[in-house]
Parts: sequence; structure tokens; C-alpha cells
Amino acid sequence: MAVAAIPVCALSVAVPFVNRVEPRVLGLPFLLFWILLWVLLTPPCLWLVGRLERRW
Amino acid sequence: MNALVAFSIVALVVVGTILFALFSLRRFPSDPQQYLVGGRSFGTILLWVLLAGEIYTSFTFLGAAGWAYGYGAPAFYILAYGTCGYVIGYFLLPAVWRVANERRLLTGPDFFLDRYGSRALAIGIALLQFAALVPYVTLQLSGLQTILRIIGYGGVDSTLAVTIAFVAIVLFVFTAGLRGTAWASVVKDLLVLGAVVFAGIVIPTQFFGSPAAMFDQLLRTHPSMLSLAPGTAPRGTVWFVTTVLMTGIGFYMNPASMNATYSARSENVLRRNAMLLPLYQLVMLLVFMAGFAALLIAPGLHGAAVDQSFLLVVQRYYPPWVMGVVAAAGALAALVPSSALLLGAAGVFAKNVLGDGLGIATSERGRMRAMRVLVLVVGALSLAFWAIERDKTIVELLLLYYNGITQLAPGMIAAFVLPRATAGSVAAGIAAGLAVVVYLVLTGAPFFGINPGFAGLVANVAVLLLFSRPSGSSAAT
Repeated sequence: MAVAAIPVCALSVAVPFVNRVEPRVLGLPFLLFWILLWVLLTPPCLWLVGRLERRW
Repeated sequence: MNALVAFSIVALVVVGTILFALFSLRRFPSDPQQYLVGGRSFGTILLWVLLAGEIYTSFTFLGAAGWAYGYGAPAFYILAYGTCGYVIGYFLLPAVWRVANERRLLTGPDFFLDRYGSRALAIGIALLQFAALVPYVTLQLSGLQTILRIIGYGGVDSTLAVTIAFVAIVLFVFTAGLRGTAWASVVKDLLVLGAVVFAGIVIPTQFFGSPAAMFDQLLRTHPSMLSLAPGTAPRGTVWFVTTVLMTGIGFYMNPASMNATYSARSENVLRRNAMLLPLYQLVMLLVFMAGFAALLIAPGLHGAAVDQSFLLVVQRYYPPWVMGVVAAAGALAALVPSSALLLGAAGVFAKNVLGDGLGIATSERGRMRAMRVLVLVVGALSLAFWAIERDKTIVELLLLYYNGITQLAPGMIAAFVLPRATAGSVAAGIAAGLAVVVYLVLTGAPFFGINPGFAGLVANVAVLLLFSRPSGSSAAT
């Protein structure tokens, strides 16, 4: 549960703290990059949750 | 001539998809275990497509680009909320599936009936799902009429466009069923993906050299657009956080997603889906870029017209056959999900309200006739709603839908974590939530920048906890 809560927090309550344009990453404004990063990290997080719960 | 080429391509693709769907399913299955939940036999891939088919819609295709065009950074909530929805779904859906499979449940309201033992609650939930569908179908109608007006190259007014859109949606629903929709989703997803890559990568690269160069220019011309307004401002950070949480929690509460969940072969199919679906969200980045590119190339759209964003660029700067293919992708993005949701809601209404509640339309023929009438009823209501709310953007319509549908989530989650919750407390919670939502939406009160649906959700949970009967041992949960 705690592992799964990380991306949810990163994409919601953490957003006011990363609400900025600089530094640009890969040409993207930082806020967009941050959200994209956590969208990409969510599958590994959920995979890990599945491992910890011994689902796979 | 231009309009003729574009229209022909769209018509060809839509008719082809209908035939493809009919070919894969010659007869509408008569057994409710079949048509509502696909015989509970769908594996990871088919379910992935089916769930994605309902989630990636006109909203993704036009609405998200329109909000990027009109508001900028607030549109990023769309990337965030879907992902939060999947994480919640990872835990919630297998639990719901287990109950549904054990008790042979068919619909979302059946779950409430089974857990809380109240037929009235189940009927109320079915009615709420049905009512919340109106802004959702309105959004698809709005998207479709935008596309039709664009490919009319000025020759189609909005009344004609929305009439064609309505007829197209109803025809599509009447010709394709659940399994048919799953395969139509494959066609739609491929076309949408192609169109989005074109609009999000090819257009920015052709006009600005690279997507990064496009962002450079955007920062020069619209410096405040790529970050959120602070605090309680409209669409500021408070709005962003509460909107992501509210819509993420409501993500799976629609009747079609419930049925898709029940149609899974096993719990792990649902978990694997929840794990993989966020990758589908990456498409949104391209949609945002299409919207930003459109803002720089064709500025000046306001209000609901922002939904035209990149379509207008394609119409002005590319040949009509490109317009036709992009428009066909958009048309399927409106038709396939509306079909799934309309059939889902009509099936739920026919079973829980007409069948269980009133004892009518219980025969196969009666139910089929009732479902057809119900689809027409929602379609007509949506048409009326569009006529009243035609200044609303696609994203605003979707947020209205979520304000209502999310109020089902506390009762569903409480079924697993709050043993003392009762039908009465769940119903009171939903009523409180809806009252807050209706008040905030109708008055338009700013309420510290908090999303109205989120405020409703808080009221909902508070009332649910307050009215649940206290009992010593289980109160700890």
C-alpha cells in the first residue's frame, strides 16, 4: 500500500511544490516532466506491490 | 469538394467499423451473463483494449488539446488523474471482482444490493449512474459536432452537425454490442494513435523545428501558461490537487467500467491491467503538444471553440484526405465509448430499475426493447443538455459527470473497509455529496479553489461515517 501511495502523492499533493517551468528537462517544462515521470514510474511501483503481495 | 473528400473518408471508416463489429458478433447474445459481462472470459489484452476504449474518448482527443490550448498547465491534471485512478483500481477492482464472481453479480448496483441488502439503494445508484451519463454523452456529441463542422469546411452549421452526431451515435449503439465494441476499440485506438502522433509530433516539428522549440516559443509568448496559478486561484494548485484526487477516485465508477471489471477472467488480469494502463496515458503528452502547437499556429479561439484547436490547424494547412483520416479517428473516439457507456447504463437501468424494481421488461425481448428506448432517452436528454450548455468545453462537461459519479465511490470502498456501514448511511452520504455538488456548481461559488466534486466527496465520507451504526469491536476499522 505504501509503495502504491508514492505515485498518487507525487501526482497530487506534491504538485504545488513542483509547480515551476525551470529547469526544463528534455525541452519540457518541469511540471509536465514531473507528471510524466511519475506516470512512467507507476507501472514499476505497481509491479513491486504485486511482488510484495506475492501476486506474481 | 474538400468537404466531400473528408466526409467520404469519415463515413467509410465509421461504416467499416460497424460492419467489422457486426461480423465479429452476428447476433446480440441473449444471456445477460454474456452481454453484460462477456461471460467473464476476457484476458489481459482484450480487457486492456476494452477499458482503454472507454477511457480514451473525444475527451482525450479534442478536450485535452482544447484545454491545453485554452488554459495550459491545468490540462496536465488529465495525465495525473488517470494514473491515480489506475492505482486505486489496482486495489479496488480485484476485491469487487471477487464478490461479483462469487455472487454472480451482473451490474454495479448489484454490488450495493448484495453488500447492503437494500433494493432501494441499488435503484438509486442505477438512477445516479444513468443521470451522470447525460453530461458524458453530451461531451461526445459536442466532440462529434465539432469534428463535423470542421470537415464541412464552413458548409455545416452546428444544428445540422449535432443532429448528424446524434443519429450516428444512436445508429452505432443499435448495431454494435459489447464484444463488438471491444474489437471496434482496436480499430479506433490505432487510428487515434496515428492521428495523435501526427498532431503532436509532425505538426510541431514542421512548424517549429522540434517540440522543444515549440515550448521555447510558447514560454516567450505565454510565459505563465506552463505552470499553475498559485493556491486558491481558479484552476490553481488547490484546484489541481483536489481535481486529481476526486476524478481519480471516481475513475472506475461508471456502469461500463463496472461491467468490464466483471468480464475479467481473474483477479490478476485486473491487476496487470491497472499496472499497464498508465502507459496508455503517455499519448496525452502528444495531445497537449498538439493543443499548444495549435495555440501558436491558429490563436484566437475562445470558449467552447478551443475544442477545435488542432483540427483547425489540420483543416487550414493540410490536404482534405489528411483532415478526413484525423476526423475519422475523432469520430470513432466519440462513437465507440458512447456506445459502450450507453449500453452499459441502459443494461443497468433495465436490470436494476425496470426488472428488480418494477418487475417489468424481464423477458429477453422486453429487455432489448427497454434498452433501445433507454438509449434514445439518454440521447435525447444529452441533445437537450448540449443545447443549454453549448458554451461549455469538453473538459468542463467531463468534470460535471465526475462530480456526480464519484459520489458512488465512498459506498463502494466502505463495503470493504467499514463493516458498520449500512444502506442508510451510504445513501445519506451520497445525498449529502450530491447536495454539496449541486449547490457549488449552481452558485458557482469559488470555495477556496476546491473542486466542487471533491467538496462533495468530503461531505459524503463525513456523513457516511457519522450515520454508520456504532458498534464496539468493528468501529476500529
